Amino acid sequence: MRFNEKELVCLSRQPSEMAAELGMRGPKKGDVVKKRLVKLVVNFLFYFRIDEEEPIGALLLEQCRVEREDSQSFSITFLDEAERKYLFECDSEEQCRQWVDSIMKASYEFMRKNLIFYRTEIHRLTGKDPLEQYGISDETRFQVNNGLRLTPRDTSSL
Amino acid sequence: MKLHEKILTHYLSCTSPVDKEGYLYKKKERNATYQRRWFVLKANLLFYQDRPADRHLLGVIVLEGCAVRRLEPDGQFAFSLVFEGPGLKTYRFAAGDGQTQESWVKALLSASHCYLSLLVRDLGRQYEEAKQQQGSGESRPSSSVSALKQSTPNFLLPVQGPTAVVRAGRSFSAGTVLQAPSIPNKVVAKKSPKLWPRRNAHVTPLNGPAPLYGEWPLVDFDPLEDFSKLHDYYGQEVKKAREEWLRSRRAEEKHSDGDLIDLG
Repeated sequence: MRFNEKELVCLSRQPSEMAAELGMRGPKKGDVVKKRLVKLVVNFLFYFRIDEEEPIGALLLEQCRVEREDSQSFSITFLDEAERKYLFECDSEEQCRQWVDSIMKASYEFMRKNLIFYRTEIHRLTGKDPLEQYGISDETRFQVNNGLRLTPRDTSSL
Repeated sequence: MKLHEKILTHYLSCTSPVDKEGYLYKKKERNATYQRRWFVLKANLLFYQDRPADRHLLGVIVLEGCAVRRLEPDGQFAFSLVFEGPGLKTYRFAAGDGQTQESWVKALLSASHCYLSLLVRDLGRQYEEAKQQQGSGESRPSSSVSALKQSTPNFLLPVQGPTAVVRAGRSFSAGTVLQAPSIPNKVVAKKSPKLWPRRNAHVTPLNGPAPLYGEWPLVDFDPLEDFSKLHDYYGQEVKKAREEWLRSRRAEEKHSDGDLIDLG
């Protein structure tokens, strides 16, 4: 599958608060922990060999489960059929918590849910749709029944 | 660099809805001919394949750090995705008609992660304001939003501050006709939110329902106080950005009555 590699590499070079040397272990049997520069940019997790400019790889942080494994390590499991699990070792409990938190919140789907929640609540509280001022009320991606496991409710006014 | 494709294809095929799909013509880089492809837009990813039913994906374009441009009306209903930077690509497309073109341009304008992040932050602030204006009466969502009660607490922190992708701020076209919410780059470029008390993140777990409101572990802070402080802090930036945007829109509207062409 083709992809815009140069552009993605460029993205990986953007400044990020969540960038650190972590121990990283791949999902395959026999994979060992290796020191990598791990960097979170938008909903991608890039990982580099230490002191290299171009990342080895990019993991899309959607449809995955992030879990604490122990006090200083966490894992990301991708929810495809293979259920590939990556392990990350941090230097401290605090760092580990920050990573888990950041990765969860980086997911586009997570952000979409937040947005829909705020949109619905603002509409309920004020009677106004906050997306109207931006002219994006009708965009499919922001619709109330998008991305939420809801029981059907009347959103005809949205 | 390896892009783990199976993650992307799984995400594409999973149950979360698609944001837009349809046929478009994509210009080949080499010989400038157009080829019809089936495009599927989901989150900040634009996938393409030969036909809708195809299992095999031809490719994907990650939509961060690009501007969407409407091209001169030459009967081709063309538009492009311009990645800004040395050696970076421009993808050129053409739609079957004007409506399709408009619809795609609009959808792509609001597709980036960065854009969504700013929007969520802005709405989070509006939500806090709305709650405060309603008085402190409600600490729980009312029954008309009963379904939402289960899924999200009412003090979600918006996602991380203006951390990373300065470039992604450019995912806004220069087109003045669309009500493109061109939240300026400036908002993204501010310093990082070190003031942000990170440990106060009560967020919806990715893949399970959130615990009910009362079950959230209580961290030592007052959400109403600290959260609104946070939002005030960011609210100021966003407020400024919004005011600037409104001002520039008004100025643009004055100048560009006949200016339907984005000459990029």
